[in-house]
Amino acid sequence: VDQQILNAIFIGSIYALFAVGYTLVFGVLDILNLAHSAVFMLGAAVTYSLVVNHGLPFWVACIVGVAVSALMGLVIEHVCLRPLRRRKAPPIAALITTIGLALIIVAAIEQGKPGSLFAWLWVDGANSVSFPTTAVPNTIWHVGDLTLQASKVVIIPISIALMLVLGYVIRFTQVGRGLRAVAENPRAARLMGLDVDRMISLTLVLSSALGGLAGILFGAALGDISPYIGRDSVEVRGLAVIVLGGMGSIAGAVVGGYLLGLIEVLAIVALGSNARGGVAFAALFLMLVLRPQGLFGAQLREKI
Amino acid sequence: MKRLHLVGWLTAALLVAACGSTGGGGTTTNSYSGKTIKLGAILSLTQAGGVYGPQGRDGMNLAVKQINAAGGVNGAQISLTVKDDASDKAQSAAVAQTLIQQDQVMALLGPTLSNSAVAVHPLAESLKTPILAVSTTGIHIVPDCNFPTTTPCKFVFRDSLGEETAIPANIKAYAADSHPKTGVLLVAQDDKFSSDGGQIVQDNVSANGIQLLKTIKFNKAEADLSPYVTQAVQLKPDVIFITSLGAIPAKIMTGARQQGWQGQFLGGNGFNTATVSKQAAAAGTGARSASAWYLGNTFASNADFVSAYKAEYNVDPDQFSAQGYTAIKVLADSAKRANLTFTDLAGDRDKLRAAMEKVNLASTPLGPFQFTANHDVKQTVWVIAMDGKGGFTLVHEIK
Repeated sequence: VDQQILNAIFIGSIYALFAVGYTLVFGVLDILNLAHSAVFMLGAAVTYSLVVNHGLPFWVACIVGVAVSALMGLVIEHVCLRPLRRRKAPPIAALITTIGLALIIVAAIEQGKPGSLFAWLWVDGANSVSFPTTAVPNTIWHVGDLTLQASKVVIIPISIALMLVLGYVIRFTQVGRGLRAVAENPRAARLMGLDVDRMISLTLVLSSALGGLAGILFGAALGDISPYIGRDSVEVRGLAVIVLGGMGSIAGAVVGGYLLGLIEVLAIVALGSNARGGVAFAALFLMLVLRPQGLFGAQLREKI
Repeated sequence: MKRLHLVGWLTAALLVAACGSTGGGGTTTNSYSGKTIKLGAILSLTQAGGVYGPQGRDGMNLAVKQINAAGGVNGAQISLTVKDDASDKAQSAAVAQTLIQQDQVMALLGPTLSNSAVAVHPLAESLKTPILAVSTTGIHIVPDCNFPTTTPCKFVFRDSLGEETAIPANIKAYAADSHPKTGVLLVAQDDKFSSDGGQIVQDNVSANGIQLLKTIKFNKAEADLSPYVTQAVQLKPDVIFITSLGAIPAKIMTGARQQGWQGQFLGGNGFNTATVSKQAAAAGTGARSASAWYLGNTFASNADFVSAYKAEYNVDPDQFSAQGYTAIKVLADSAKRANLTFTDLAGDRDKLRAAMEKVNLASTPLGPFQFTANHDVKQTVWVIAMDGKGGFTLVHEIK
């Protein structure tokens, strides 16, 4: 069971990091950015491609991967969200445009084969690939019966540090106050002289950078990078995490991420492998019935 | 005078004989020449089966190119339309229907995945269009494509070695070599290919003296398999059986080796592509499967195929390329003998089906090729092991 708890903490950290980005956008804009899972995948794919096909060192590739993800946040804002806001479209419209963008990003990566239009971005088509151990050293330690891999162990401090920094920025800085003001009431924020569009762009850049980084860590830790990792592994789970933690709450997303990881792994150990998805979503269902605002959703006035 | 008579008779006889062959052929050549034999392939070029489909397509295209360059089938050219089913059962059936009814193909190849074959094969059967399965290895593919109905499907053929033959052969060979005592089976429960394979493993372990400690089921889209691998490793089995496909085998192998497990991996057809061997790398070293084809076979029909494929695509072919290539050769050979009219599509499809039943090719990349009475492939089984570098080595040859 010890190894299983470790498994839960590793995957929980990734869920948390992914969900923090998800929930940040929800907190500010009240919309679900369903392209977030595609950004998660893009971060991993770009980093892989830079390391393997363009020969960059892993650390440089990571930085570029996060930067590309952050840029994709701007694309989401300018292509999927801002035009709709201008037309005062209902939130459901943004749901559809972001799903559309996610499909386009996944399809673009999927088409990436040697000689194709997207070969500079990705050459492995629908295949799943993993970082070569020569480029991304993955030391393994055996402590008693436990197996610890460097690529998994680093996730925990990185996740926690980033989440603390984000929490600090939002709570104690001028930018954070601006974000909270926009989340509270965009109109009032605008009247107070805040550039609301800029704040929203910033939110998407931050959120997407976190999503991309989560993707990179996922790819390195689980040895699985394919056009489908976002859709298959984190999209619906991320949604579960933010509902579990309380929509729009960053602390909730963190706790929800670890909780979901733990619930899933314990379900496998206790009830057998069929139960993984079922138990996780039963917990979600229970949460919705017993405490619809989620674990940390009590203070509805303050959203992020 | 008598002598001259004899010569005259002999000449006449020779002429008649010649007419008999070219004459018969003459009429066929006339009806074939300038015509097009339309074939359609339903392959998984993207999504889960995207690891296998593209190589199948490349093998088929190579065979079509070679046959057309050599004058076609009695003068008729082959045209092959390849459509992607995105590894999705419903899309696979929709694509098949379009190919049969709209594109009016004479015969179909595919689909890549057994999971999709369940939808596509009964459809082809009901629309009386011959279909040749090129990589489907699950159970109930031939002859009972409408399982649980057991009426043999007349139009469904298979040129890929079924897991019912391959997995037992693999287990038996390893049991004879190393006498393992215990095993754990990891199976993707929501995938027909994997669960069929798992069933075959369960049915064959005890006969080979192996006790199956646990069957661990997971879902094919789960990226994090570590909890399942941990469960398997903690049971300390001699063998881990993996019947999944795509990226899953490599992930399980890497995870289990990282957790310090030293035993033997045995698997199915999902192992048999260079992509999987490459993904598994060192963790896959020695992992065994029984295969329909082996890259290193030096008999002429395989060596020629391998070098032509390399010249065309600049990579080594794999089993799926070889099966796709062979499938086109089988259909071309059948079409040659089928006396097609090119006017009556339904009649031609039935003639082609009848000719396919009598295929007997002495040399293909898979070795000598025939169909059994059940329309299944009859061929040699090659037990191969991953070499840790993206390739395979031959361990046993089972005739």
